[in-house]
Amino acid sequence: MSLDWSVVWQHRGELLDGALLTVLLTVLTMLFAVPAGIVLALMRLSHSKPLSAASACFVEFFRNLPLILVVYWAFYVMPVAIGIEFSAFTTGLVALCLNVSAYNSETFRAGINSIRKGQMEAAIAVGMSRWQAMRQIIIPQAWRRVLPVLASTWVSLFKDTSLVSVIAVGELAHTALQIRSQTFRVLEMLTAMAAIYWLMGYPQAKLVDWIHRKFGVKE
Amino acid sequence: MELDLSPIWDNWRYLLGGLGLTLLLSALTVACSTVLGAAIGLARCYGPRWLKLPLVFYIDSMRAIPVLVVLVWTYFAVPIVTGVSFPPFWAALIALTAHIAAYVAEIVRAGIDSIRPGQVRAGLALGMSGAQIVRKIVLPQAIVRMLPAFGSILSITIKDTAIAAVIAVPELMKRSETVAGQTYHPIEVFTLAMLVYFVILFPSTRLVDIFYRRVAHLGRS
Repeated sequence: MSLDWSVVWQHRGELLDGALLTVLLTVLTMLFAVPAGIVLALMRLSHSKPLSAASACFVEFFRNLPLILVVYWAFYVMPVAIGIEFSAFTTGLVALCLNVSAYNSETFRAGINSIRKGQMEAAIAVGMSRWQAMRQIIIPQAWRRVLPVLASTWVSLFKDTSLVSVIAVGELAHTALQIRSQTFRVLEMLTAMAAIYWLMGYPQAKLVDWIHRKFGVKE
Repeated sequence: MELDLSPIWDNWRYLLGGLGLTLLLSALTVACSTVLGAAIGLARCYGPRWLKLPLVFYIDSMRAIPVLVVLVWTYFAVPIVTGVSFPPFWAALIALTAHIAAYVAEIVRAGIDSIRPGQVRAGLALGMSGAQIVRKIVLPQAIVRMLPAFGSILSITIKDTAIAAVIAVPELMKRSETVAGQTYHPIEVFTLAMLVYFVILFPSTRLVDIFYRRVAHLGRS
C-alpha cells in the first residue's frame, strides 16, 4: 500500500472552496429556518384551527422523512410540481430549509410552552394583547431555553449539509469525492475529507456543550 | 401534470424488498448500537479513569463527522487499510453502529447523571455495594428517563439507513432511485418513497411517546 498525501495539498484550493460552501449552506439555512421555525411555532400555537393544523402537518411530515430523500424529492419533483427550475445549490438549500424549519418549529414551540401559563394570563390581565404578550414577555424568556437546542440543531445541520452532495452541490463532501474519483487516491482523499469535517465540527460540538452548560435549564 | 403509477405496479416486489432491507438494517443497527453504546456509556461513567479520555474523544468525534463520511470511509477506505472488504450491507451496519452508538452512549450518560447523588450516598449508607447501587437504584430509574431519547434514536436510525444508499446498499432509498432512473418517473417513485418512510417513522415516534407516558412515573424521584 503506497500512500501519496501530496494529492491533498495539491487540491487544497478546491477543498477550501468546498469547506466554505459547506459553511455558507449551514449559515444560509439557519438564516431562513429560524424565522420560518418561529412562524410555524406561532401558527401551531395560534387559536386558528386551520393555521395550527397546517403547521402541524408540515412539521410532522418533514420531521419524519430522511433528509436525503427530501433532497432527491426537491431535485426531481419540486421543479415539476411548482414549475420553476432552481440551481442545484438552491435546491439543496430549499431541502435543508424544509427539514430544519420543521425541527426549529418544535424547538420554539417547546420553548414557548415551557414558560408558565400564568405569565401570559398576567400580561393579558394588565391589558396587553396576546401578540404583545408573546413578543414582550414570552419570547424573550423562551429564547434562553431555546438557544442550547438551536445550537445542537446547528451542528446537526452542519453535518447534514454533506447530504446535498448527492445532487452535485459542490460542497466539501462532493468536492472530496470528485477528487477521489479523478485521482484514484481513495484513502488519502476520504481521510482528508473526514479530517476536515472533524476539524470544523469538533470545536462546534464542544461549543454546544459549553452553551448547554451555560444556558441549560436545571430542575 | 400526468401521474403514471405503472412503474410502481411493475416494480412493487423490488421496492418492497428494499423496504424489508431498510427495516432489517434499522433493527440490526438499533440492536448493535444499543449494546455498544450502553457499554461505552457505562464505561465512561463507572470505568477506569484512563478509559474516559479515549471514549470522550470517540463520542465527540462521531458528533463532529457526518454519517455520510463515516459510511463512505468504512466502505471505501477500510478495505485499503485492513485488506478486508465488506459487502455494502455489512459496511453500512458497521458504520451506522459506530455512529449511533456514540449518541446512545451520551443518552446513557445523561440518564445516569440525572439521578441525584444523594441516592447513591443513601445506598452506601445502607451498606449496599457499588454494583448493587448501580443495578438496583440508579439504572432502574435512569433507564426510564432514557426512553424518550431512545425513541428518537429509533427514528434517527431509520432515517440514517437511507444515507446507506450512497454506498449502494439496496434498501428502499437506493431501489427507489434505481426505479426512478430506469423508468423516468421520479415524481411517482420518490413521492411513494416519501409516503412509505413517513408511514413507518410517524407511528414509531408516536408509539414511543405513548409508551413513555405510561411508564414516566417510574423514573420520578
